[in-house]
Amino acid sequence: MKRTVDVSLPIGPVHPVFKEPCRIKCETRGEYVLNAEIELGYVKKGIERIMRGRPWQEVMFLAERVCGICSVIHNMVFIEGMELIAETALPDRAAYLRVIVNELDRIQSHVLANYSYCYTIEHETLAMYLLNLRETAMDALERITGARVTCAYIIPGGVRFDLSDADARYLREAVDTIDRELNRFVHMFTTGSLIALRSKEIGILTRDEAIEAHAVGPTARASGIAHDCRLDHPTYRRLDFSPVVYTEGDNYARIMVRFDEIFQSTELIRRCLDRMEPGIIRGGSEVIAGTSRWVGEAPRGELTYQITTDEFGRVTDIGIRTPSIMNIEACVHYMLIGVLSAADVTSTYISSDPCIACNER
Amino acid sequence: MSILQDLKNTVRSKSIHVCYVNVGSCNGCDIEILACLAPRYDIEQYGIYVHNNPREADVLLITGAFSPQWEDKLMGLWEKIPEPKVAVAIGNCPISGCVFNREGSYLDPPVRKHIPIAAEIPGCPPRPTEIIQTILTLAPVIFRDYEGGAS
Repeated sequence: MKRTVDVSLPIGPVHPVFKEPCRIKCETRGEYVLNAEIELGYVKKGIERIMRGRPWQEVMFLAERVCGICSVIHNMVFIEGMELIAETALPDRAAYLRVIVNELDRIQSHVLANYSYCYTIEHETLAMYLLNLRETAMDALERITGARVTCAYIIPGGVRFDLSDADARYLREAVDTIDRELNRFVHMFTTGSLIALRSKEIGILTRDEAIEAHAVGPTARASGIAHDCRLDHPTYRRLDFSPVVYTEGDNYARIMVRFDEIFQSTELIRRCLDRMEPGIIRGGSEVIAGTSRWVGEAPRGELTYQITTDEFGRVTDIGIRTPSIMNIEACVHYMLIGVLSAADVTSTYISSDPCIACNER
Repeated sequence: MSILQDLKNTVRSKSIHVCYVNVGSCNGCDIEILACLAPRYDIEQYGIYVHNNPREADVLLITGAFSPQWEDKLMGLWEKIPEPKVAVAIGNCPISGCVFNREGSYLDPPVRKHIPIAAEIPGCPPRPTEIIQTILTLAPVIFRDYEGGAS
């Protein structure tokens, strides 16, 4: 795949708008982007190689550290894969608590992604508002799980801590605050004429191109593909979940999908709190030899874990497929082509919410 | 020590420019650095500006254990930063490699083997307040009595 191009505009690896190192090489005429290529590999750690041969108790923490932004979903998908092997029954309360923590994680990840986008198009006011709003979600996450980022809340058979009534009240207030504040910010975003000029009809990914590039998550849903792995998840099915879909496929649609998903997540958290009944939060069973494949919807899209264990509970083989790599491909090969200015290259790239740490592992 | 020098030291400690680089982290520490920008922690009220531009930085925040791609690049980045400068290692990864310092890993921790590190903040990840506190502790020291290359 390696191809020599006439590079005239390299961006990165250390760049003011990039949170993580990667290099985009654009072939340009003037500022019109003719072609683009991405160079990855700056944060390759070899996590899957470290995981092999280790007991699941260790792999659980390693899985969480695949990605720091969406650590809860990595933990959840790995643990649910292990539960599939061991045929562990999950208590009802624990299933709802998992959804609550996962949705809180999604809220903070989406807010962070939209913050990055607003910061990239230099609307710093909105960016700072969003970053402050994220702290509300982080506080709720910390109150429930005990840590801000790597919380290891989900464990085989259930969750680590129960939710007290006081915590539930706090959580309801937190999601109400998020809803109320975000309504204001979304109004700012949709009515801002300069934001529209920087966002609408820039970086278009059509439905066919999204299918061709196997785009997933909000990037695909902004291009009209109504696919969300939460539709196949047993707990989410009970919560009457339906994905948010936009058809424009431009930067604006991708940001709006994330904003709408935050509202949807707060609604899911409320539904969980309403339906949750007191009970045990942890069951159990023995880990046996077996193979499983489990898919979950990370904030960035479909996340797959393929796990093989032996009879002692050691993970002998593991394969992880993270969503960002497909979205980055879609971004570089379809969205960036035909972008009119160098400033839009970075904003288009950020709008696809790439997570380099995830996809290099 | 002259009054002028004291004045210079005080003023310079209120003007710190920060650049951060991820040399193989999981992103956890990076988002905690970003959280420092939030109005709640408000790193800018102390006169610390996060530019992420090595050419005007005074403090380089390093997250992550050391991945092979950075072997030639991190030293180059360090040399681009004008004197006086300090590097701060954030999180367990640059200090010891954290969970990644195992058999099979591609990483090469600690980062202090590669460039000089002035301070280390343990934690996986450390809280934003700890990051701000460390930069503030270093701020009066970086420029103390600095007279353009005479040191």
